[in-house]
Amino acid sequence: MLKNTKLLKMLAVPLIASLVMTGCAPKEKNSENTKQETIKDTAGKPATWIADRKIKGLIFMDADDITEEMNPEVLKQIKDKTGIDFEFNLMPAANSLDGLIAGLASGDLPDFIAFYLNHSGRKEMPIVLKAAREGMFTDLTPFIKDTKIFSKYLQDGYLPLDTKNGVMFRPEFNGAAYFMHMNVSREPGYMTRKTLGGPFIRKDIADALNVDPRTITTSEQMYELAKKIKADNFKDNNGKDISVIGPRYWGGTEVKALYSDLAINVNHTFGRDKEGKIVHESQTDYPLKRVEYVQKLLKEKLMNPEFYTMDENRATEGILNGSFAIVADMHNYLDFNKDMHYLPIGPLNEGDKPFRMGLDFKSSGGAWAIPSTTKKPEDIVKFADFLASREGKLLWQYGIEGRDYTLDAKGNPIVNKEVSEMKDKDPKAAKALGFAGVGNSWGEILGNTDVDRIDDFGEAEYGSAAQSQVDEGPLKIAEYWGWDEKRKNAEISDTYSPMAFFGEFSKENELKAALDNYNESIIRAYYAKSLDEAKKILGEASKQLHAAGLEDYLALLEKKDADPNTKVNL
Amino acid sequence: MLIPCFASFIIFSYIPMGGLLLAFKEFKFNQSVLESPWVGFQYFEQFFNDYKSMTLIKNTLIISTMKLFLGLPFPILLALMFNEIKNRWFKNIAQSISYLPHFMSWVIVIGLMQRMLAPDTGLLNETITFFGGNGNTFFMNEAHYFYQIMFGSHIWKTIGWDSIIYLAAIAGINQDMYEAAKIDGASKWAEVWNITLPSIRPTILIVFILSLGSILSAGFDQLYLLKMPGNAELVDILDTYVIRVGLQQGQYGYATAVGMMQGVIGLILVVVANRFARKVSGTSVW
Repeated sequence: MLKNTKLLKMLAVPLIASLVMTGCAPKEKNSENTKQETIKDTAGKPATWIADRKIKGLIFMDADDITEEMNPEVLKQIKDKTGIDFEFNLMPAANSLDGLIAGLASGDLPDFIAFYLNHSGRKEMPIVLKAAREGMFTDLTPFIKDTKIFSKYLQDGYLPLDTKNGVMFRPEFNGAAYFMHMNVSREPGYMTRKTLGGPFIRKDIADALNVDPRTITTSEQMYELAKKIKADNFKDNNGKDISVIGPRYWGGTEVKALYSDLAINVNHTFGRDKEGKIVHESQTDYPLKRVEYVQKLLKEKLMNPEFYTMDENRATEGILNGSFAIVADMHNYLDFNKDMHYLPIGPLNEGDKPFRMGLDFKSSGGAWAIPSTTKKPEDIVKFADFLASREGKLLWQYGIEGRDYTLDAKGNPIVNKEVSEMKDKDPKAAKALGFAGVGNSWGEILGNTDVDRIDDFGEAEYGSAAQSQVDEGPLKIAEYWGWDEKRKNAEISDTYSPMAFFGEFSKENELKAALDNYNESIIRAYYAKSLDEAKKILGEASKQLHAAGLEDYLALLEKKDADPNTKVNL
Repeated sequence: MLIPCFASFIIFSYIPMGGLLLAFKEFKFNQSVLESPWVGFQYFEQFFNDYKSMTLIKNTLIISTMKLFLGLPFPILLALMFNEIKNRWFKNIAQSISYLPHFMSWVIVIGLMQRMLAPDTGLLNETITFFGGNGNTFFMNEAHYFYQIMFGSHIWKTIGWDSIIYLAAIAGINQDMYEAAKIDGASKWAEVWNITLPSIRPTILIVFILSLGSILSAGFDQLYLLKMPGNAELVDILDTYVIRVGLQQGQYGYATAVGMMQGVIGLILVVVANRFARKVSGTSVW
């Protein structure tokens, strides 16, 4: 055995050495990945030529949303048209936010990074904002000016307010922009698809009970319907008993659309009370009403007990087997329901008002940034601009002319029959062709903005010009639901998420933690053994919100909402 | 021969310790750890002012104490049982089966448990229904089943692997002692109680002392996956909290401070227990 002093010395020497090594090591200023080849003479190159170099990206998104594998022929087309050897990787992580935080902390970033960011209140925002404030990213504004598509971002009224002032040109940056917000539609209120979501019911059950699901507009009617379903003992495809109300198609979680008349807001927890004051849901009687309702459903076995916890595989499997009479949330474009064997319910009222379709002034979502270590960042902006142009979009959305599509007299793409058939019969092989139309969405990262499919390609949906029945099922569901009529009466708003102003709030972390705790507590309250226990859980969560400065944040929201430039989505 | 061992310790154990400085610094993306500004004990203060801190410490201590103290005899008992198996073939098979769960990730283990304990459709509930009972208990979500599920799954996963060290210690016991005991007419129980257990006592003590170091680490992956709305109040521990604030909210300094606190308390406990063990039984790690 070593004597204590000797042991301490032995431990101390490497410890001190490690502190020195770790602490003194300066952050890498140059990324290996930013090596670029010398720009050669561009004479004889296409007009879309950028530079003979490699561009490498790191994507902090889920593998479900972005395809990492690219088609070699598509890569060659990119090279021929722009000179760019394009390559990107998805950051492996339990969730995309963890990956983003770890990636930024590593300090070793490639030429560009991309991440989720549907609005400035999203959880990624404070992280990328901190990185921008600490000089991690390149100011994109000087390069945007010289582009064809992204220069539109500088035009008044082109960008939605949150994209303009909350994400890109934040006042604190004095005109500099460190993130490129994507998925901005060309025209206000533009919607590519006639999408509708929310609860759906098995058609055979609705027919057997002689119920028109569209007449269900309140949670009480939903409850009565659920009771009728339970009384009739319907079976699933395997002849087993069904659950009356099952979870979302994508797994168990809170689904306010199932009882939206018992929530202050379907999308978040802020709203205006009857006196017109901005309040948090915890200050109203909505949460308790909801708890009473859910506890009633659970107690009477009208709701699957794993409604809030079931993993995605089991939920999807259950829905495909017809094991849930009512699916809490799905949408009309899901492949398995092209034959309309599930019909949309309602929609239910929202709070104390009848449902009204709400549309953003313009869509937006996803962003990319260029690390300050990247050499010649203008090349990346130019490359993104190429991908956002019609020619670029044609490549990443429709593939290669001749191989995957032909052009009609108007210059619009007509998808080849073989590709359409392959997509139906062997989706995996079709995806390997390497473009968005067949489910390979690499191009969206840098190129999906200034969106207007009809204007660009003469069709709302990939392949619908060649095969009108391509989205026949979803469109029939939309027609059944009255999508066009609801779209006509839709409310278009250009607003900020109520969570967009955390960065200006002194107790940001405490309030975020208290809001997360509140959302968790609501679900705990659903499962509480009694209403009294639920009240206790909710009371503690409210107390925590109060201690975290909720009232001050509500006052900030009132101030923001009073300013026409910072209207809040309430 | 010692060089690779030292190099491995330095690279994988000591160099990462340099990051502990973050517990006293405000982390900046564009600065190294030394360049970042000092914040003193701000994060420690922040943690103890957090309304959840006492619950987190309490939950962590309850769970890790259960695993450490209640869990301690199980691998010893298994090792004693293995030692009594005379059929070599059966012994090998039994040992291999008991080691298998160690190689399964918690994701798989909890996934299996979710299926088996699911309300209505789970194996257990279907069995209960078959015998005329109420088969819709949501075991995984019920707070009063949490400790049983947590402890049971922990023992199932670790018992075989943890028994190896005791089995090795038992193998090293001088067989003459058993022969002498037999001549004196000792029963099997008497042999175990008077020879086997006293002989492996130093091993038990050392394993126990070393385990004390992780008293504030109750096992992140198992508990993270076991968390359900109904048991959330009991499951939230320091490890899950560190991941939540450190990774998911990007508060590296704060998370480092909480992690460091776990390590320091563990170190103190190990030192104290080691001294105590040396005084009482003459056995110690150093």
